[in-house]
Amino acid sequence: MENSIVKLRGYKDGLHLIINPKVSLNEVETAIHELLREMNQSLSGTSIQIDMMTSPLTPEDLKELETHLTKSYDLVVSGVNVFDEKDESPILAAPTTHSISQELSIDTLMHIENAQIVRQTIRSGQTTSCLVGSVILYGDVNPGGEVVASGDIVVLGTLRGSAHAGVNGRLSSVIIAMELVPLQLQIGTYVNRPLLGQKPRGYPEIARVGAEDTIIVEEFIKF
Amino acid sequence: MGKVIVITSGKGGVGKTTSTANLGTALALIGKTVVIVDADVGLRNLDVVMGLESRVVFTSMDVIEKRCELSKALVKDRRVEDLVLLAASQRNRKDDIRQEQMQDICEKLKDEYDFVLIDSPAGIEQGFHNAAAGADEAIIVTTPDLSAIRDADRIIGLLQNQGIDPINLVLNRLSPALVRKGNMISKNDVLDILNIDLLGVIPEDTGVIASTNRGIPLVHNDKSPGAEAYMRIARRMIGQRIPIPEMREDNFLAQIMNWFSRNK
Repeated sequence: MENSIVKLRGYKDGLHLIINPKVSLNEVETAIHELLREMNQSLSGTSIQIDMMTSPLTPEDLKELETHLTKSYDLVVSGVNVFDEKDESPILAAPTTHSISQELSIDTLMHIENAQIVRQTIRSGQTTSCLVGSVILYGDVNPGGEVVASGDIVVLGTLRGSAHAGVNGRLSSVIIAMELVPLQLQIGTYVNRPLLGQKPRGYPEIARVGAEDTIIVEEFIKF
Repeated sequence: MGKVIVITSGKGGVGKTTSTANLGTALALIGKTVVIVDADVGLRNLDVVMGLESRVVFTSMDVIEKRCELSKALVKDRRVEDLVLLAASQRNRKDDIRQEQMQDICEKLKDEYDFVLIDSPAGIEQGFHNAAAGADEAIIVTTPDLSAIRDADRIIGLLQNQGIDPINLVLNRLSPALVRKGNMISKNDVLDILNIDLLGVIPEDTGVIASTNRGIPLVHNDKSPGAEAYMRIARRMIGQRIPIPEMREDNFLAQIMNWFSRNK
């Protein structure tokens, strides 16, 4: 998958598309097309950031590239980082911080509005996943069972197993359950392992990424 | 036309074989024709628990490989009428049998018997799939431990995928005193997680060990609490409506104390 014009790298805060500074918009778009075609996995709904050394592209070009990425590949551009020549190469310097405000308001995007409704208890060893939207589950998730969604996860029952919302990096995803006593929660790249041996609290709870870059769980009252 | 019921659990050592032996005997005692099938090829135990070990001449493998007729391989239990055992081969391995071959045996047996009880091996591999292949219904045996419940949950998912229905639960080795102290998961908590119908609860009963070692199923001695519980389950299996008694979660001393405090 080596490509001299564009590179795709996974960092702690998600995927970065790294663009070679000395090329034209057309070359970039062709290279992206090549790159994504070679991948055997669809990146649909994934949130990515664009990294560049001293932008070779004009702001208009950049705008067009973003639109292109969204329209043709259903990618969500969550940020553009332009590095100075003086800085280290973005390929070497992996960004380590992430601010929530960098996320675009992608809630309006179509793929998040999709919801898969599942009427079944997810038992140990079973997985239900929706990589193009949210999951609404009429039933429980038992220990060893797993629910995965690129959007939100709503469990109209007891969540005792694992749930991974925003699996493509959408950090505004939430996990809601009538009883939330999970083995593990993940939102985007954040992991929360609650204390073992919790008792159900008897009210619905919501898990989301809080200001401190950790998953917080609190009573669910309303949106 | 009878029913084929697989008795399974996922985890080992929770009482599948003991339950198969006792439910088979109990059903025969109340007048049904029963065949119990050991599907634990290579690690057979049902014949031992039934005390029929020395009388096994042919096994299901001999039937499959056409060395003998199915009817010849069935070992009669002389203590009760209409109870026979089909033993598993001890020399073979679980993947020496295919699912269609087990299905074939089950089809033939259920033409002749009211109940075909299949004692499944532990695990979720070929042996389990063979045991479940010909089943119409399933009985899940679990003990109130987290690991046994987790495995039971996994097994229920697999059986549901296979379209087996109903899947009922037997909760084995429940100790009311331990539940009361908070040291054991309660019946309701188990049911909450597994979310299937409860067929019965077997209390912890040390008589089981002696009965297993003697090769006489517990239900032959109808005084023990375990035997009574198995008899009730057998009656529920033939459609009688027998309530599941709430186990007293108090010990003897606490009952006396209660009696005194009530009579003050």
